[in-house]
Amino acid sequence: MAEFTLPQNSKITEGKTHKAPEGTKRVTKFRIYRWDPDSGANPRLDTFEIDRDQCAPMVLDALIKIKTEIDSTLTFRRSCREGICGSCSMNIDGTNTLACLKPIDEVKGTVDIYPLPHMPVIKDLVPDLSVPYAQYTSIQPWLQTESPPPPDSERRQSPEERAKLDGLWECVLCFCCSTSCPSYWWNGDRYLGPAILLQAYRWIADSRDEATGERLDALEDPFRLYRCHTIMNCTRTCPKSLNPAKAIAEIKKLMVARR
Amino acid sequence: MSGLERHQTDLLILGSGGAGLLAALHAHDKDPSLEITIAVKGLLGKSGCTRMVQGGYNVALAPGDSLQRHFMDTIEGGKWLNHQELAWRLVEGAVERIVELENRWGCFFDRNPDGRLHFKAFAGQTVDRTVHKGDLTGIEIINRLAEQVWARGIKRMEEHRAIALIPSRDGQRLSGVLMLDIRTGEFRFVAAKAVLLATGGGPTMYLYHTPSGDKSCDGLAMALRAGLKLRDMEMVQFHPTGLIAGKDTRITGTIIEEGLRGAGGHILDGSGERFMHKYDPRNERATRDIVSRGMYDQMKAGRTGPNGGVFITMKHLDPAMVRKQFKGMVTRCADVGFDLVSGNVEVVPTAHYMMGGVEYALDCRTSLPGLFAAGEDTGGVHGANRLGGNGVANSTVYGGIAGEAMAAFAKSDGGIVAPDEAAIEAAVADTMRPFSRKSGDLNALRERLYKLMWDDVGIIRSEESLKRGEKALDDLAAELAETGLPQTTRAFNLTWADWLSLDSLILTSRAIAAAALRRDDSRGAHYRSDFPETGSLEKSENTVVTLEGNRIAVTTTPVAFTRVRPGQTLA
Repeated sequence: MAEFTLPQNSKITEGKTHKAPEGTKRVTKFRIYRWDPDSGANPRLDTFEIDRDQCAPMVLDALIKIKTEIDSTLTFRRSCREGICGSCSMNIDGTNTLACLKPIDEVKGTVDIYPLPHMPVIKDLVPDLSVPYAQYTSIQPWLQTESPPPPDSERRQSPEERAKLDGLWECVLCFCCSTSCPSYWWNGDRYLGPAILLQAYRWIADSRDEATGERLDALEDPFRLYRCHTIMNCTRTCPKSLNPAKAIAEIKKLMVARR
Repeated sequence: MSGLERHQTDLLILGSGGAGLLAALHAHDKDPSLEITIAVKGLLGKSGCTRMVQGGYNVALAPGDSLQRHFMDTIEGGKWLNHQELAWRLVEGAVERIVELENRWGCFFDRNPDGRLHFKAFAGQTVDRTVHKGDLTGIEIINRLAEQVWARGIKRMEEHRAIALIPSRDGQRLSGVLMLDIRTGEFRFVAAKAVLLATGGGPTMYLYHTPSGDKSCDGLAMALRAGLKLRDMEMVQFHPTGLIAGKDTRITGTIIEEGLRGAGGHILDGSGERFMHKYDPRNERATRDIVSRGMYDQMKAGRTGPNGGVFITMKHLDPAMVRKQFKGMVTRCADVGFDLVSGNVEVVPTAHYMMGGVEYALDCRTSLPGLFAAGEDTGGVHGANRLGGNGVANSTVYGGIAGEAMAAFAKSDGGIVAPDEAAIEAAVADTMRPFSRKSGDLNALRERLYKLMWDDVGIIRSEESLKRGEKALDDLAAELAETGLPQTTRAFNLTWADWLSLDSLILTSRAIAAAALRRDDSRGAHYRSDFPETGSLEKSENTVVTLEGNRIAVTTTPVAFTRVRPGQTLA
């Protein structure tokens, strides 16, 4: 018989509850995934009740407040706190997003926080991103040219050519999109996923790059590109409002056009 | 020390901002056979401040511009305290580097209609010379450089924190660096032929600050402990327009860019009145230091908005222009509930950049053989005040220079030498100290540090405030030493990380306070209410700080006017 439940050691148990002090008026509950690699215990969900009158607006603010005031063992990544570095990506209220850009008020009721889905967990909310980074390297995301650049000068690019890259270069590599994609969940070892394909298209679309053919060749594969089934979770989840699904569609169009 | 994991690499680079990544790429170019390792506290390419650069990159390429003009703007902006040879190499190197960033590493910046680079206006410039990518330039630079690093098999030690620079057994040179693997909590000693200090400064000891939360001045603290000289440490730049969105939010302090004032933005007090005319005839377009002081003065007088700041407004300007030209900033303000186009945005001067740092030579060598330094960990290029757009130029120009110099050093006189084991043991013991102390309230210590630096060692200083600050810092250091951690797990222990960050920040703060007390004049970022005059430019001196035992020692040394003297110009 096939087993449809999680393995025993992956089942999530109920953790500790940290109550707000008596008389707190505006309380929001945060249920947060916890897992400590050293303890040997199953993952658990801890509940923290936060006084919203004493907490700033973003989910990252609440996480930092919990860490400084309630449970200093809570572990998560964060760096810039302004949506530029892409470190604090996690699953909040069922959607992958950046904790620094997610207002607590957008969540109705309890705020559930998990690490990015379908990635190995290092600790608590910190995922192991080695696979997507290796896939990123595999698309050779750097300028490739045959012709020499003009001496002591930049390669020229018209405003129209430059405009083609808008919506592509702003990606902060948070991997919210890839880890929201069911196709990537199933075939993450062979399908490149939306984040990487958006980057691939960024180079294909760059008028200065001269390796377009090789780049398309490398993607002409039943898995690397064509596991995209236009589910569109990627575009819905992107915290920077980019459109990876469109970038993938553009690559597919180029594939057809060159046949 | 037994039980310590040991590694060797040819070149070890601490930090993955513009300086660290370019050093790796240039070293690899120079000698591809070298094993190069980049160690970084977070993930490569996501940590550090180069990524957060908004404005852009100063380079003298525009028609009518020249190296001489860029140099003179940098010296005038730095109030004649710059190391002139370093400043010259900066303006020269920026031209090479911007073309290299485009053509070799694949960056691309915004263009004019003719397809050539676009230059925008920044404060303190006689010619528009800031190359940029919209109003979020850093993402482009760091993404492209990180990709090139990944492409070359350069080794990465991610989520590794540098703990101490470890000398050789005879103390004559550097042997390597003691690292802490954040993921496991284990120590590693990495021996290297040459090491680059490129962790970036980042004045995060102030109540309001712009750098990322990772920043903790570890590089400067390690340099002090290793006996290196730090110059101009009193020079901490405050940017006038940091967002303030309430006391508990970490977004407080993050910058909205200088171009807003350049484009005609007004600064208003709590009751909605303009006030900058009281401080400078250029009003809101005065330089960063003057605007910051004017705002601070109003705040001290209690003329503030609900969060204790003042306001910037663009509502008297064309809304379409604001939306188009400052797209990233409009979004950022909206994220915290402010309307930049038609409302008032509450802002506060915010600690932004440290002009001071490790003394170093033109090829990035330091006084400790085997140790090189580049970027915000160094001092000298910017003097008393950094021009907007010269920061990322500094880190990328000198990062590249350091990489080449390190590759040459590894070949000629570099070798792996045995470390001073006693120094390793002492550093491990210092780092493990909080595990043997009673758990305490680190957050309260941090809040005290923020407040005392802001109030007493901040935008306006005096002998009285600085002495009070020094005393408070000594008390904090003593208290931290006796404060422990609530958990014993070492793996990914962020409270332990907080403890280590505070330790570095307090030591660096002591260096800032001591240098500020020594400088009895006011220039650039440093303002003494008891010595408001600039003093003689001809007799300008730099402060030099060292750590002697547990005491901060300060001396001064005359500025060498090697290219131009006050009153003269090259342009």
